[in-house]
Amino acid sequence: MLAFARETWYLGLRTLRRFLRVPANPISTVIFPLIQLVGFSQLFRDIIQLPGFAGQTSYLAYLAPGQIAFTVFLAVSWSGSNLLYDYRNGYLDKLRAAPIRRYSILAGELVPLGLECAAMAGVILLVSVALGASVATGFVGAVLILVLCAAFGVAWSGTSFLPALLTKNEQATGTLSILFFPLAFMSTAFVPVRLMPDWLQVLNAVNPISYVIEAARALMTTGYDWGAIGAAVVAIVAVGVVLQGATLLAFRRLTN
Amino acid sequence: MGRGEFFAFLGPNGAGKTTTIRILTTLLRPTSGRARVLGLDVTERPGEVRRRIGFAMQTVALEGLATGRENLELMGRLHRVPGPELRRRVDELLELMGLAAVAGKLAGTYSGGMRRRLDLATALVHRPDVLFLDEPTEGLDPQSRAALWQELARINREGTTMLLTTHYMEEADQLCPRLAIIDEGRIVVSGAPAELKRGIGADTVTIQLEAAEGEMATRQDAVARLLDGFSPLQGLERTDEGVRLAVVDAASTVPDLLRRLDGDGIGVRALTMQHPSLDDVFLRYTGRHIRDEAADRPLEIGW
Repeated sequence: MLAFARETWYLGLRTLRRFLRVPANPISTVIFPLIQLVGFSQLFRDIIQLPGFAGQTSYLAYLAPGQIAFTVFLAVSWSGSNLLYDYRNGYLDKLRAAPIRRYSILAGELVPLGLECAAMAGVILLVSVALGASVATGFVGAVLILVLCAAFGVAWSGTSFLPALLTKNEQATGTLSILFFPLAFMSTAFVPVRLMPDWLQVLNAVNPISYVIEAARALMTTGYDWGAIGAAVVAIVAVGVVLQGATLLAFRRLTN
Repeated sequence: MGRGEFFAFLGPNGAGKTTTIRILTTLLRPTSGRARVLGLDVTERPGEVRRRIGFAMQTVALEGLATGRENLELMGRLHRVPGPELRRRVDELLELMGLAAVAGKLAGTYSGGMRRRLDLATALVHRPDVLFLDEPTEGLDPQSRAALWQELARINREGTTMLLTTHYMEEADQLCPRLAIIDEGRIVVSGAPAELKRGIGADTVTIQLEAAEGEMATRQDAVARLLDGFSPLQGLERTDEGVRLAVVDAASTVPDLLRRLDGDGIGVRALTMQHPSLDDVFLRYTGRHIRDEAADRPLEIGW
């Protein structure tokens, strides 16, 4: 276990450097949520007068948690490409010929990915606060939001790792990232569930990102809603078990 | 092969050199049979094998977004080289490979030769007992190749057992006291290069003949007739420009040979003599030249 942690640490440092040494990586991740945060909070400023928004004092405060969570989709959309790149140029073989546990290689990708998600979501959180949103639960609540974002990002990154490992095709690596369109725009990121037509309410009930958004929103606008937080954790674990379980099997096959 | 040796697998592309080396470095499971490295079975004890070997692959595999130093440190850490020793070792290797001046630059900015040397260094950080080199000078210019050969020879002198695969005959010839010629997955012959070449027994004499358009075949027939019964002659092969002869001890028998050809209107445009090369050895045992066919790499198609 200690050896696994050690190997993950050193491989993770490499992954983190790769991310940070290409400025386009962090910039392209935060730019879209930033535009939405600033633009939509003004564009739909008066939407909170609708009855479904009961209790909200500003649309920015309502919108922010959704954009924070939304950032995570972008942060992981091409996450499988590093591993594919290593597979192609022989680096994966180099690592496999080294005396390490092979799952350290996967962990060396996923752990930094979680940190990247938290950091990128953190940028949007800070900007939201700067624009006037607040975090009702303070610093601890903010950290909790970022932890949820990191966990969701790692779980959801299977949508990139899985096609990457199964097809070994660079293009396929980002294909499933377009799922964020239906998932984010039909979630409770923009309007409360009470304003949705019945069929969307049904879809929303199985939309994992909505649970993360609701937990983050509670932490930002009201307080520790353990029901919402628990639901988010369940949703993240469910996504993670399915997607990362399959990723693990695909990785196992690739490295056999 | 024995400890401390510098051994080569020589063969054309597709002969099975890389497959063999991938089995020995635990990357590929043998479909049948057993392989042992340092007395350790590669299928049963891959972990121990990995700890004690170094592997420089055919394709240079580096982290382009990390500096030369960081590349070395990562491989050292993964091989559990303790901190203070690792720093010393990394400095030493950077110096050795002539990379000290660029140690802080990203490996992605290195030239081809520098990348090769850094890649080789990453395989040496943990002082492996055995170093596997798969086509280590592939794609290098002659100058860098010669420099790398010196490097490899020195590493071997310092006690590392080396196994090299190559399809460059000069490479195996220069570096390795012993080699095996491998073709279609089998070792066809092995031994010291000089011995193998001596085993051929004959030098090659290439003669370009003067011949008008369409007359070459007649001239070649005449040469064959004139040399009939010439005892040092062991073989005659027709080429586009004349003939290629296998002649025992060519240096002293060529004057005689030329005297026999003096007549029948045969004009010799050029004559060259060559001692047997490893290519001749390869030809003898496989019936083909080593460069005859370059097997294509399998094309990888995704979907």
